[in-house]
Amino acid sequence: MTAEPMAAVARHLEPPHPEANRGLAIPLVGMLLFIASEVMFFSGLFAAYFNARANAAGHEWGPPAPASELEAWPLAAILTIILVTSSFTMQFGVWAIRRGDQRALRRWVGVTLLLGVLFIAGQLYDYSQLGFGIGDGIFGTTFYTLTGFHGAHVFGGVVGLTILLARASSGQFSAQNHVAVEAISFYWHFVDVVWIALFSILYFLR
Amino acid sequence: MRGMVAVLRLRTVLQVGLLVAVAVLLGGCLIPPEPETTEAKATFGLYIVVLVMAAVVFIGVEGFILYSAIRYRRRDDRLPAQLHGNNLVEIIWTAIPTVIVLVLFVLSISALGTVQAKSDHPAVTVEVDAFQWQWTFRYRDDDNNPDNDYSVTGSAAQPPVMGLPVGVPIRLLLHSQDVIHSFYVPHFLIKKDVIPEPEGQPENQLEFTITQAGTYAGQCAEFCGNEHAAMRFTIQAMEQADYDAWIAAGRAGKSPPPAAPSGAAVVDLSAHNIAFNTNSLQVPADQPFVIRFKNDDAVQHDVAIYDGQTELFKGAIVDAGASFDYSVPAIPAGQYDFICTIHPTMSGKVVAQ
Amino acid sequence: MATTTLSPQAESYRRSWVLDWLTTVDHKKIGILYIVNSFLFFFAAGLLALVIRSELAVPGLQFLDAPTYNQAFTMHGTIMIFLFVVPMLTGFANYIVPLQLGAPDMAFPRINALSFWMLPLGGILILSGYLFGGAAAEGWTGYAPLSSNAERFSAGVGTDLWIMGLVLVGTSSILGSVNFITTIFKMRAPGMTLFRMPIFVWTVLVTAVLILLATPVLAAGLIALFIDRNYGGSFFDPASGGNPILWQHLFWFFGHPEVYIVILPAMGVVSEILPVFSRKPLFGYRAFVYATIGIGLLSFSVWAHHMFTTGKVFLPFFAFMTALIGVPTGVKMFNWMATMWRGSISFTTPMLFAIGFITMFLIGGISGVILASPPIDFHLQDTYFVVGHLHYVFFGGSVFGIFAATYFWFPKMFGRRLNERLGKIHFWIHFVGFNLAFFPMHSLGILGMPRRVADYDPNAGWTIYNLISTVGAFMIAASVIPFLINVIATFINGEKVGDDPWEANTLEWATTSPPPPHNFDTLPPIRSERPVFDLRHKHDAEHLHDGEADLVAPEGGQP
Repeated sequence: MTAEPMAAVARHLEPPHPEANRGLAIPLVGMLLFIASEVMFFSGLFAAYFNARANAAGHEWGPPAPASELEAWPLAAILTIILVTSSFTMQFGVWAIRRGDQRALRRWVGVTLLLGVLFIAGQLYDYSQLGFGIGDGIFGTTFYTLTGFHGAHVFGGVVGLTILLARASSGQFSAQNHVAVEAISFYWHFVDVVWIALFSILYFLR
Repeated sequence: MRGMVAVLRLRTVLQVGLLVAVAVLLGGCLIPPEPETTEAKATFGLYIVVLVMAAVVFIGVEGFILYSAIRYRRRDDRLPAQLHGNNLVEIIWTAIPTVIVLVLFVLSISALGTVQAKSDHPAVTVEVDAFQWQWTFRYRDDDNNPDNDYSVTGSAAQPPVMGLPVGVPIRLLLHSQDVIHSFYVPHFLIKKDVIPEPEGQPENQLEFTITQAGTYAGQCAEFCGNEHAAMRFTIQAMEQADYDAWIAAGRAGKSPPPAAPSGAAVVDLSAHNIAFNTNSLQVPADQPFVIRFKNDDAVQHDVAIYDGQTELFKGAIVDAGASFDYSVPAIPAGQYDFICTIHPTMSGKVVAQ
Repeated sequence: MATTTLSPQAESYRRSWVLDWLTTVDHKKIGILYIVNSFLFFFAAGLLALVIRSELAVPGLQFLDAPTYNQAFTMHGTIMIFLFVVPMLTGFANYIVPLQLGAPDMAFPRINALSFWMLPLGGILILSGYLFGGAAAEGWTGYAPLSSNAERFSAGVGTDLWIMGLVLVGTSSILGSVNFITTIFKMRAPGMTLFRMPIFVWTVLVTAVLILLATPVLAAGLIALFIDRNYGGSFFDPASGGNPILWQHLFWFFGHPEVYIVILPAMGVVSEILPVFSRKPLFGYRAFVYATIGIGLLSFSVWAHHMFTTGKVFLPFFAFMTALIGVPTGVKMFNWMATMWRGSISFTTPMLFAIGFITMFLIGGISGVILASPPIDFHLQDTYFVVGHLHYVFFGGSVFGIFAATYFWFPKMFGRRLNERLGKIHFWIHFVGFNLAFFPMHSLGILGMPRRVADYDPNAGWTIYNLISTVGAFMIAASVIPFLINVIATFINGEKVGDDPWEANTLEWATTSPPPPHNFDTLPPIRSERPVFDLRHKHDAEHLHDGEADLVAPEGGQP
């Protein structure tokens, strides 16, 4: 209601200058903050896990009787290798686009996406082999909640990578303009780190 | 000039006086119930000290704000001195609350020692079993056979009574069968949550020594579902001799005498082979009375009184072989039905005259 | 009114105003959406409060049964905290923070819109339990195993809807906090260093960090609760190795920072208003900032003081940390007092609400320190004393702050000032009603009345206090009437007061009222935390009247 044409033009000639171009790009700051909140989310679930373990002191800790060992741990180790590898391929993609190499970006993002899908498939197979469910005692509950929510995050990452691949295929990224690639790579590394924590705690901490 | 100063001073004195008066009046509404255990006396003493400290802070700060608001209200357009801060002052008024809270902390921890003290050999140990939405009090005795222990289970219409001796340490073992409850006696200035413990975890305990015989109301303080408000109970503190008689009677006939209001009429009723021994109870009208119920059957029974569809009274369930004194509130003259709610075929008439 | 046209031809492209508001990504419009949405939920939860107080006015069950009563206080608490106080303050922050920083918008405008729209959805989910056999009825704290075992203790989908709604609302807060932190660190105008930021921005920053780190833990707890209820999980089930106390740890690890999430921005509002109407700078700006950060840090180490009576926490540590939090709070109180001291105080409605805040919050603060003492807490925990305490913090604190902010920033948002006479009537009914409603609750708690009871013993001596409290509650409700009349009348025929009616200090007053979509045409130089004050008094001091060479006078636009 205050707008007269002249005033409006003047406004657009003289925009304010937020100090946006120092340090990390705005989307990356946002992604890091979001990851901080995700860390707290998983901390809450890990706290539940350790609380249950502490309460079980003196009792056997682990899956219920028929599957008293997590026998599938070799499979989990393979999954770990897949996910760690995918972190590297993601980073190769980031370095590629920093050089401006769009073809290499597409290749590395494609490989990362494939590894992500492989991980999810492997995890679902693992679930089908375990022989206990989420309702089978406190171990089953914490095990499936932790790995399930991690899996959901991997799935979120796979969706992000798919979008990234589509955008990369239409040539939307360049050496100067690739903040989305960096942001997704942050998230992907985070998901990887959570898995390493999960793997060492669930399978090896006795 | 001097007169004006005097008037100002008088006004200040009046204002401060008014504030103090209001604070004292409010403070009067902030005194806890008379503490009736040794532990509660420690809490009470601590509370009074804290209340006085709180009142001083309250009067000081509110007085200052009121004074500033009146004294420095805007009178003209002149800009007051633009004071941005003063480090020395900041340090001083960081120190003041620090000292206050440290004093409070030290006093609290020392009182906490008294409140949480454990005796090696409590004179009475009662297992408190909380469930939705009542209590069972089970008195441990020396024979290590819980089946012989005297126990009382309450109902919404008849909350349970926990008889206790004065002057000796008492320990309560708090168990929950379902959700979290909280055992709270305002006159003892204490509550403790009653938690369904994971296997192998120790239960919560509460210890106190009652100093004054009397009847103290208690109730559940942790929200536990629909009938949370109905989870009430009574503690009846007695001299040791009275307690001994009470618990002996309880163990023998499993019907503790003090549960019946003294002077009330007592009518006898018993059950056997899924039937009451009578189909007519003569009771006084318009005054409370006691149904001394003896369950000679192999199954549980209870007694409820109805006026048509309206429930006038519903008593606790009495185990096979047990007895219970139901305290029934006054009912007007007339005819009513009494039944066992578990076995509706067991019924009869109550005649109140 | 708000679609700015670049040229007369653009008129034909103007969308309908409904669509415009539904799809807006302008932080100012989103802020107003937040505020309107929050007021609607405030009225809903306020009605529930009247229902509760009516039932409790005298002993006996008058017109509710226990399950209905339990749903009422659960919904009242949940809606007031999660859908009124927090989003209301978020709304003001949304509108004001970019303006105070000299920024054109939030860092992520579209995420900002997403954060907002999750709120009404979450609120409707929570309340929709009433349509499906009953809303959640376990209290806003939803203690397990009452809430976690659907088969035995809490059948019905009401609790599941409550969980899903809260997860949505929590996600909204988390995304909002990401947005605020990024905005504050990356979108400041040239010259706006961290220590020149208005105190309101500082409190929003600390609040956003608390939300970012605390809310995800609640989300984890809520999800665990959902798994226990629906998929046979046993997080909180003692029978299969779970632990019901774990819920309390997760909930209060979020829930105590939540208290500061609710109070810090209100403190920020008051710290903006007191200097303006005392015509002095805030005393001890830096000390105030450090105290805010201190409260934020300490808030993560005090959660278990809500659990003193569980017998499962280490009392001395949590008692000590809790008492310690009184220190930065005390520093703030002293700074506010010193700001008024030797000022030039005018009693406008925002100032009355701000003074109301510090006088009432003081009581909530003192009762909080009293509750920090474990032996005293053993008596007062879960009684009406706690209910009184929390209302002196949430209502005496935050809600007074919210009304102060409403009266203070209304002319910025709409160019018209709310009527002062009606505002003062509103304040005094509100103030008296508030104290009548909530002060007697302290007495009730000290006498031993537990909270969350639908009925109470007529012989316990609690009736008179309950009756007074109910009268007070209806007075608070009545005080809303002059407020609503005021808002409507002001929109119709309110006093147009120009861009800077209060002679305020911070950057939002350097632009027009309401501001243009991009906020600023030009910015004054920022050389202190009071750029607009500096601008105004630079002219005074140097007797310059031709300062428009490089500056836009804050009163500009209506010469």
